[in-house]
Amino acid sequence: MTDRASFEAQVLPHLDAAYSLARWLTRDPHDAEDVVQEACIRALRYFQSLREGGARAWFLTIVRHASYDWIERHRDRDGGDAEVEVAADAESEPAQIVERRGDSRALAQAIAALELPYREVIVLRELEELSYKEIANVAAIPIGTVMSRLARARALLRQSPVLHAIAPRRSGGER
Amino acid sequence: MSGGTMNCADAVLAIGAWCDGELTGDAAAALSVHVAGCAECRAEQASLVALRDEIRTQVPRYVAPPSLRALVDAELARAFADKPADAHAEAPAVAPQRASAAREAFSLSQLRTWWTRERQRWFAAGAFAGALLAVVVGALTGVVARHWGSDDIAVAAVESHIAATLGGHTITVASSDRHQIKPWLSARLDYAAPVIELANSPFVLAGARVDRLAGRPVATLVYHYRLHVIDVFVRPLADADDAPAVTMVRGFTVARATGAGMEWRAVADVDPPLLAAFVERLASESAAGQPAAR
Repeated sequence: MTDRASFEAQVLPHLDAAYSLARWLTRDPHDAEDVVQEACIRALRYFQSLREGGARAWFLTIVRHASYDWIERHRDRDGGDAEVEVAADAESEPAQIVERRGDSRALAQAIAALELPYREVIVLRELEELSYKEIANVAAIPIGTVMSRLARARALLRQSPVLHAIAPRRSGGER
Repeated sequence: MSGGTMNCADAVLAIGAWCDGELTGDAAAALSVHVAGCAECRAEQASLVALRDEIRTQVPRYVAPPSLRALVDAELARAFADKPADAHAEAPAVAPQRASAAREAFSLSQLRTWWTRERQRWFAAGAFAGALLAVVVGALTGVVARHWGSDDIAVAAVESHIAATLGGHTITVASSDRHQIKPWLSARLDYAAPVIELANSPFVLAGARVDRLAGRPVATLVYHYRLHVIDVFVRPLADADDAPAVTMVRGFTVARATGAGMEWRAVADVDPPLLAAFVERLASESAAGQPAAR
């Protein structure tokens, strides 16, 4: 049996990262809570498989799996990837809940509108600041795929109509 | 196109990796040669850097709400039901159940209560401390605080924080191990500064330096919180004053707490209630005596 203090010390510091990832993947604050709760149950079950030092990527891998399972179960409800109200509820939440970095929601909406494979690499890279190797482990894809998905995601973001500030250069070259 | 070893197609991929800090050695050198000679790739590089910076400054990284923490606590309590409770673990706020079922009961009422309480505490502390600090600082230094909530030490602390941040010299001794930082500080100060590592916390000890506050050398602990740098000035408590305080100086939050004869003052561009909670935790952990580090 695992030791509670050890679990709390190694896994719980990454609860914010877990919630943020789940929220970006499910695009819903309440579903993200369900997903992270489920991920914690799985993490408790597989705690022995955690190796020293890799708790963050390990936990995020579990959270990603739980998110994908949730998305699979609610595919009909989620519908397409088009119109998404991201962070709309951020306004109504206490400042502590959302770590606000700026006022613009356009970029967040553009990211939320990305298809899942592109959204997750952008979130893991830019918000969680994982290395390519860590992203490859968490998303279970080769490093080359991490690179190409990031490049494609960034091309899509720069083409996004909500972003005027960032000039979409070389947009034709991505096809 | 003076790169020679790298063409534009390769460069576009390499620029992405470069932006992500994943390009090293020969590849990085080849890219910089190519970019220096290719205006188009230079523009591509600038565009990617701009996008990265926009994402990091404008896109929220969400923070787990208290309702989720309570649910996780409940899961832990259930998983370790036969074990004696950990000294630090709080009793689960809700019985183990699905988040969706608990949500209405928990998040609406409790979240609101929590938020109201935080706000009241913050305002009460600010108003009380503002008055008290004006008297104490005035008496100590002969200078009356310039306006409500602002005092000379807070201003000096913010100036020190800004100088360190602008100069890029926030940390002299870089370590997340308090057992390395503590002796380093002790060798440079005439008092023993407590150094606190917080387990289960997004506030990560990153290192320390020594600053001067009110003409005396003072221990500055540096914590990282997400992308924010938090300076915590730790010095012996000058006066019998145990009012926690939150003030704003030049847009920076200054939060203060006392414990074990020390004054803890945190400076950062972090929301006041969050910083206040952080510095209070430092002070109380210090007062309680930090358990042995891992």
